[in-house]
Amino acid sequence: MSSDKNNINLKLKVWRQKNSQTEGAFETLDAKNVSPDASFLEMLDAVNEDLIKKDKEPIVFDHDCREGICGSCGFMINGEAHGPQKGTTVCQLHMRHFNDGEELVLEPWRATAFPVIKDLMCDRSALDRIIRAGGYISVNTGNAQDANNIPIPKPDADEAFMSATCIGCGACVASCKNASAALFTSAKITHLALLPQGRVEQDQRALDMVAQMDAEGFGACTTTGACSAACPKEISLINIAKMNREYLRASVLKKEELSGGGDG
Amino acid sequence: MSSVLDSKIPSGSIENKWKDNKFKMKLVNPANKRKHSVIVVGTGLAGASAAASLGELGYKVKAFCIHESPRRAHSVAAQGGINAAKNYQNDGDSIYRLFYDTIKGGDFRAREANVYRLAEASVSIIDQAVAQGVPLAREYGGLLSNRSFGGAQVSRTFYARGQTGQQLLYGAYQAMMRQVDLGSVELNTRREMLDLVVVDGKARGIIVRNLLTGEIESHSADVVVLASGGYSNVFYLSTNAMACAVTAAWRAHKRGSYFANPCYTQIHPTCIPVHGENQSKLTLMSESLRNDGRVWASKIKGDMRKPHEIPDSERDYYLERIYPSFGNLAPRDVASRQAKFRVDEGYGAQGQEAVYLDFRDSINRLGEDKISERYGNLFQMYGKITGENPYKSPMRIFPAPHYTMGGLWVDYNLMSTIPGLFVAGEANFSDHGANRLGASALMQGLADGYFVLPYTVGDYIANTQLKPVKDTDDAFKAGQDSVKNEIQKMLNIKGSRSVESIHKELGRIMWQDCGMSRNKAGLTDAIGKIANLRKTFWNDVKIPGVANEVNTEVEKAGRVADYLELGELMCRDALSREESCGGHFRDEYQVDGEAKRDDDKFCHVAAWEWSGSADKAQTRHVEELKFENIKLATRSYK
Amino acid sequence: MLNFLKSTVGRKYIMGITGLVWMGFILGHMAGNMLIFLGPEAFNSYGHSIVSNKILLYGTEIALILAIIGHVTSAISLTLENRAAKGTRYAVMPKGEKASTWASRNMGAQGSAILAFIILHLITFKYGAHYETTVNGVVMRDLHKLVLEVFMKPGYVAWYVVCLLLLLFHLSHGAHSVFQSFGILERKMQAPLKKIAWAYAAVVAGGFLSQPIYVFLVNR
Repeated sequence: MSSDKNNINLKLKVWRQKNSQTEGAFETLDAKNVSPDASFLEMLDAVNEDLIKKDKEPIVFDHDCREGICGSCGFMINGEAHGPQKGTTVCQLHMRHFNDGEELVLEPWRATAFPVIKDLMCDRSALDRIIRAGGYISVNTGNAQDANNIPIPKPDADEAFMSATCIGCGACVASCKNASAALFTSAKITHLALLPQGRVEQDQRALDMVAQMDAEGFGACTTTGACSAACPKEISLINIAKMNREYLRASVLKKEELSGGGDG
Repeated sequence: MSSVLDSKIPSGSIENKWKDNKFKMKLVNPANKRKHSVIVVGTGLAGASAAASLGELGYKVKAFCIHESPRRAHSVAAQGGINAAKNYQNDGDSIYRLFYDTIKGGDFRAREANVYRLAEASVSIIDQAVAQGVPLAREYGGLLSNRSFGGAQVSRTFYARGQTGQQLLYGAYQAMMRQVDLGSVELNTRREMLDLVVVDGKARGIIVRNLLTGEIESHSADVVVLASGGYSNVFYLSTNAMACAVTAAWRAHKRGSYFANPCYTQIHPTCIPVHGENQSKLTLMSESLRNDGRVWASKIKGDMRKPHEIPDSERDYYLERIYPSFGNLAPRDVASRQAKFRVDEGYGAQGQEAVYLDFRDSINRLGEDKISERYGNLFQMYGKITGENPYKSPMRIFPAPHYTMGGLWVDYNLMSTIPGLFVAGEANFSDHGANRLGASALMQGLADGYFVLPYTVGDYIANTQLKPVKDTDDAFKAGQDSVKNEIQKMLNIKGSRSVESIHKELGRIMWQDCGMSRNKAGLTDAIGKIANLRKTFWNDVKIPGVANEVNTEVEKAGRVADYLELGELMCRDALSREESCGGHFRDEYQVDGEAKRDDDKFCHVAAWEWSGSADKAQTRHVEELKFENIKLATRSYK
Repeated sequence: MLNFLKSTVGRKYIMGITGLVWMGFILGHMAGNMLIFLGPEAFNSYGHSIVSNKILLYGTEIALILAIIGHVTSAISLTLENRAAKGTRYAVMPKGEKASTWASRNMGAQGSAILAFIILHLITFKYGAHYETTVNGVVMRDLHKLVLEVFMKPGYVAWYVVCLLLLLFHLSHGAHSVFQSFGILERKMQAPLKKIAWAYAAVVAGGFLSQPIYVFLVNR
């Protein structure tokens, strides 16, 4: 392999942990002759090829689409979720943003609700369970009316879209000093509450999703804004404000369910 | 030629086939549905929508995905949009026109009946998505907005900025999670299907590897639905995600499910060019960009000038020149081929393998704000990857493998040649012929999952004697053993080549000889090279670690082993199809750079039957295609 | 209602409401104390008028006690849960925008110090030396004298200044957070509300600080 004069060398301190039962530790590895056009994960691919050559196990990290949309990848680079760039997943972070000789510390997301599986990979299924608790509109296939029957003001649709772009990567939780999932949960609550189709269930949804968020062991929001700053989709803090309002409203206004349905 | 393939296309006029067929189908009564189980492999658009809809009907559904969450499925990355014959724009669209465009777009190599049903379902998909809260783009009046896509002269593409796939996937995912909450769908994540279990000739279960523990598990059911996506990663560099694999489909193929038209692959014209040796994947720039971007190359060979230094008189807006009626919105296969011709002839951007996609004129016309509103996230992504600002200088683009039209053969009911094995979405072959039009993949995945399988799976269950099967039966034990043995065999090789390096080598062979253009010599050569590479793999691959824990190299090795078999079949399929059609372009069969079909000899689907061994040639079966509604004609976008 | 109080969001509302009660009180307290600049008579008469109105006095005291109990218990339970939720800390602390502010990370420590300060403050003043004076024929407590006495001690002034600086941070974060917790944060208001919160905290802390500094430096 020819060594390009623009290529850089890095020292990596990578968290290595065999599985969730064992304790982990940092391992120092060299990343040599890294092209500035390579993505961060491509840099790790090369490090892994080296490790495999030496009969060592490669660094395990979640990744898939490598275009910033699937939400699989993510770890801390020098204490910052997805690294130093704003609005960027680690797969879209390119090596041109780093300097020759830099030392980078790579750690998995840290949160009790996200146990480490191996190395930089952790278990974020808690986020799925929050969606499962109410992050949907209860409509069966085949029941829909014509899509244009209910016009939705463009600003509402756009705002709902902004919230709906959350990719569920967990950077918000990882960046929060309290490991709060408020930004993730609120993005879904807000997305659905802004649309007329979602309003029917908005109260129950807010109650159920917040209850699940708490049950998973995430912490409380302290409005530091670190979540939003780390969010690759730049989901705004106002989602959390909206969730709080929805939750209060739901708690105050919740109607008692009448027992029994029709008996026809 | 064999005629074992019964497509089960219903009789009657094209407009009534599906309607009449639905009525004729046998129903399963609600109390009995609970007693029947369905396995769904894959939770992208097709899988998640199928799992949700079948769960709603009352079946016991077990959904499996390779990812940690269904929301990661690669449908999430679809950018531009989804077609539907709503005719909201009043521009003359109709179900029949979408049907016509799709058949023509597929270069007359798709089944009419399936495509018509797809066009019918497209309308309901948009209704369903909006009811689920999918935030599709809207106009100021509050109604849904449309954009144009390639191969159509109407505006029928619905979209959510450049994230349409993401939003539609979340809609289906949320619908499925609701069923998980209600207990009708059991979700199994981080599981990779490694074998299909066939009992008494019927698909009755799957063998999966738990990717966290390495455990090999058995799961039984009355029906198995595969919605495991396409195989573009056979090229190593493609726009597909890293985990996209042919494995689930291939293992089913090896159990008796025929593989149809494997050589039909789509090379997408607008991707970010390759930057270097360590590149792991390619990134698509949505076709929607061709609404406002103009594609060009320099008129001067070997022109090393920067794009802004090249005056208009020296720019060749070749798509507008060659295809005046479709212009920049020529279909993908056509646009890709023309880009390749420019580069082959030496007109590449600054000597590179790239042409330009230029927004200068539309920015001047509409302003930067409007362009940013339409494509902001795509421009941002381009900027991040290349370090260049596409608002200031044109994007450099080049074709890349993106989608595979081929897949497991299915009949009209989406059932494969193995009874009880249904195949949906990109994993099947059915609707796109030899070329898929833009914004039709989302449409097909969701049509299969929401509106076709819920009927046809029920019909199969109602019509079939299904004896009880347990996942501890001998057939499952045998399946487990064969999977375990294969993994152990790979681990024991302890050779010198990494899985990745072999995959890269396979990719280079495929791109070279079975890519945008193919010819007899190249394909023959490739078949030999792939067979050798397969030997290298099984003698010299190196996989660190053990089988019974997280081991990403074991995962990759299994997938590459399958690609090494599929790659050869693709070449054989391409070799035996002595014509050019859609994405399959044989150098020998062309008229002035346009595909030259041979309808007399090749107006058929080729479906391959596994021979029992990778080193023994597979048998080619044929399903004749009949065009009763749309006249076979030379496809022209001029 | 119980579910509401058990939830993280619900307890954040409690933090906010109880915080607001104290924020109102503190602002009034600070403003009233500014009378010290007008001399002993104004200051003592103001104090006397407050203690004379028993309903107002006890009402306020009960409200403040309840509020602080709610504030502290919610804070303790949330802090413990937050610690448990975070688990392992990072080897490298984040910097820049992706980091949290010092104030937000140390609300618990600031709160504890402020609570200690409040208790000490009550011992020093409310239950401190009882001097008497007569203003316009009315006998009343001469708090002015006590304040002067206390604020002449350098050690006390230093402790007072430190606590008020902590209060400044505590209020700046709390006043901003309350908008978020109550869900009244809108996109356009994000930046202005942060400024308003800081302005409020600066006025309160600045006002309070001016008093001992004035006494210590000017009035000796």
